[in-house]
Amino acid sequence: MVFDTLVAEFPFLLRGLWIGVQLLAALLALGFVLGLTLAVMSVYGHWTLRLFTVVFERIFRGIPEIVLLLLFFYGIGELLPLSPFLAAVLALGLRSTAYQAQIFRGSIQSVAGGEVMAARALGMSRLGAIWHIVLPQALRRSIGPWTNEYSAELKATSLAYVIGVVELTRQASYIVSNLQGNTLTVFAVVAAMYFVVNRLGNAGLYALERKLAVPGFEGRGASS
Amino acid sequence: MSDNPILRVRDVRKTYGGVEVLKGVSFDLERGQSKIVIGPSGTGKSTLLRCINLLSPPDSGSVILDGVTVEERGINQIRAQIGFVFQEFNLFTHLRVLDNVRLAQRNVLGRSKREATKRALEELERVGLSDKLEAYPAELSGGQKQRASIARALAMDPKLILFDEPTSALDPELTGEVVQVMKDLANAGMTMLVVSHEMGFAKAAADEVIFMEGGVIVEQGPPSTLFTCPEHARTSQFLRMITHEHEEG
Repeated sequence: MVFDTLVAEFPFLLRGLWIGVQLLAALLALGFVLGLTLAVMSVYGHWTLRLFTVVFERIFRGIPEIVLLLLFFYGIGELLPLSPFLAAVLALGLRSTAYQAQIFRGSIQSVAGGEVMAARALGMSRLGAIWHIVLPQALRRSIGPWTNEYSAELKATSLAYVIGVVELTRQASYIVSNLQGNTLTVFAVVAAMYFVVNRLGNAGLYALERKLAVPGFEGRGASS
Repeated sequence: MSDNPILRVRDVRKTYGGVEVLKGVSFDLERGQSKIVIGPSGTGKSTLLRCINLLSPPDSGSVILDGVTVEERGINQIRAQIGFVFQEFNLFTHLRVLDNVRLAQRNVLGRSKREATKRALEELERVGLSDKLEAYPAELSGGQKQRASIARALAMDPKLILFDEPTSALDPELTGEVVQVMKDLANAGMTMLVVSHEMGFAKAAADEVIFMEGGVIVEQGPPSTLFTCPEHARTSQFLRMITHEHEEG
């Protein structure tokens, strides 16, 4: 029976999911730190830094993620041996950097320039104003668009299976080959698992958005 | 005029996109003095204020604060000594009123949290906002926002405060509370340079009025003289126009 096998194999799916979630956390964290840095550079940096950010974004937003995965694993792996997991974190994380940089750039630019001027007039340094005034507001406004990035990257982790990361999709394909068929049932379970993680993550992000909302401002659902 | 003014502005010039907005402006501000700058819009009044603390650095000329030339080097420490009140308040949206007043004290002056809180509470009480410490800017009226921003400037213990049209963004019924705070400050001996058409403030609290037009100071003098018998025809014309507006408004 396919269901007995599924129950028996479920721990492998869970293990695959756990690898996928670790990959997701690592690539989003990399993308967050570098993306925020790039965004600050692209708004406030010297023109050479701005040029660098543009080139970086053009490259990493212009190449399919699956090609990036192959390039990092087989390309860079030639010079510097990378584990499949690390190659996937770098390939997907740098791509996420480019997308997250755009999210943060937009929200940084939406912070009222007058507040930065007020901070400077009080004697705060440029970096001080960015840190204390711009980023706290920009990051709050980034949560909504960032849910997109979370959802997209969760699904992108399944592509890491082409370079041999034993994540959820790859575990599923092992099971399918063991079962000799029942492809639909197995992948339906896998689909449900991705769906649940996606919903949980987004629910958490929306809760965070509500918790950090500044009182007096219209937030999500405030006008309904 | 003393030999030791708190602020000395000499021949300040500024060009924006090919237009010379300030064509050589010079004046002194004595300790404890309050001066009000009036003049038609687009005449460089706000630019003048921004040239003083280098938010918009002048192309030439000099600004000397308490004997020290204001220049890019060390500008943050100099700006900390010059309060600035904006037309649009520019309170920090994400911070409560108390934190708006504490932030720069801690970040720029390096005060302890306790000390910054103490000064913030004193100044918020002075502007009548003791009951709004925990409010966010979006929860305040325009007049309350401007009073909070005045408290934010005062808590830095500045040597003088620059006011850039502090009541222009307010509904008429809210200007009174801000003007009252400014009058009290002037009477308490704060050194102030105010760009405004608030005649109430000018008559009651300004020691001197500067009339600017076309990027230069046309004339300056005590309000009693300048408002009653101005030297220049252009000044009386302008004064007629704004008193008219106020009566109609």
